[in-house]
Amino acid sequence: MIRTQISLTKEEYRLARLEAKRQGISLAEFVRRTLRPNLPLDTSRPWMRFVGFVESGDANSSQKIDELIYGIKT
Amino acid sequence: MASKLSAYVDTSALIALLDKSDSFHPLFSRLFSDPPPLVTSSLVVAEGQGWFLRRFDTNRSLQFLTFLEELPNLTIFAVGETEIREGQRVLQKFSDQTLTLTDAVGISMLKKHKIRRCWSTDRHLSLGGVPLITSLVD
Repeated sequence: MIRTQISLTKEEYRLARLEAKRQGISLAEFVRRTLRPNLPLDTSRPWMRFVGFVESGDANSSQKIDELIYGIKT
Repeated sequence: MASKLSAYVDTSALIALLDKSDSFHPLFSRLFSDPPPLVTSSLVVAEGQGWFLRRFDTNRSLQFLTFLEELPNLTIFAVGETEIREGQRVLQKFSDQTLTLTDAVGISMLKKHKIRRCWSTDRHLSLGGVPLITSLVD
């Protein structure tokens, strides 16, 4: 483990501690878990970290874009 | 300038890649892992950002733009008066379809730049004669 220092606003610190407590983990572990999804998994292909970064729950979401953006029934 | 090996990327391909729930997600994950030169329009960028904003939030919409920044070999063509006029001609030609200007400009770009590969799940994009990648790949 590398020890490092980060600066948080009072509010960020308060909320982070609260959430860590809620999850039953240390503040350090909470920060690590929050950081992990934003780190490129493969440094040679950084764009791939965004693959599947959202889950709409809709198997046809890519075919309903016009409906969502323009209100056009497809 | 787009080459013969370039692929045009529509909003639907980007959403299918980034939305884990989409049925075409595995296909586009594979395609984008080693992408050829990619071409799209500024309208697609706006549409994609709008999708994340409406479906999710500002944070996700900004992540979408960061993703595009990091995507290698992506050329984003600006859409000005000329491109809108060309898109308008496509809209007139297919006036029986519910085509958006973004779709129409995409169809026009495929023809203008002689791009033979279309990454999209939107059947409208095939109206110009270029088959969708989803119909070519299992």
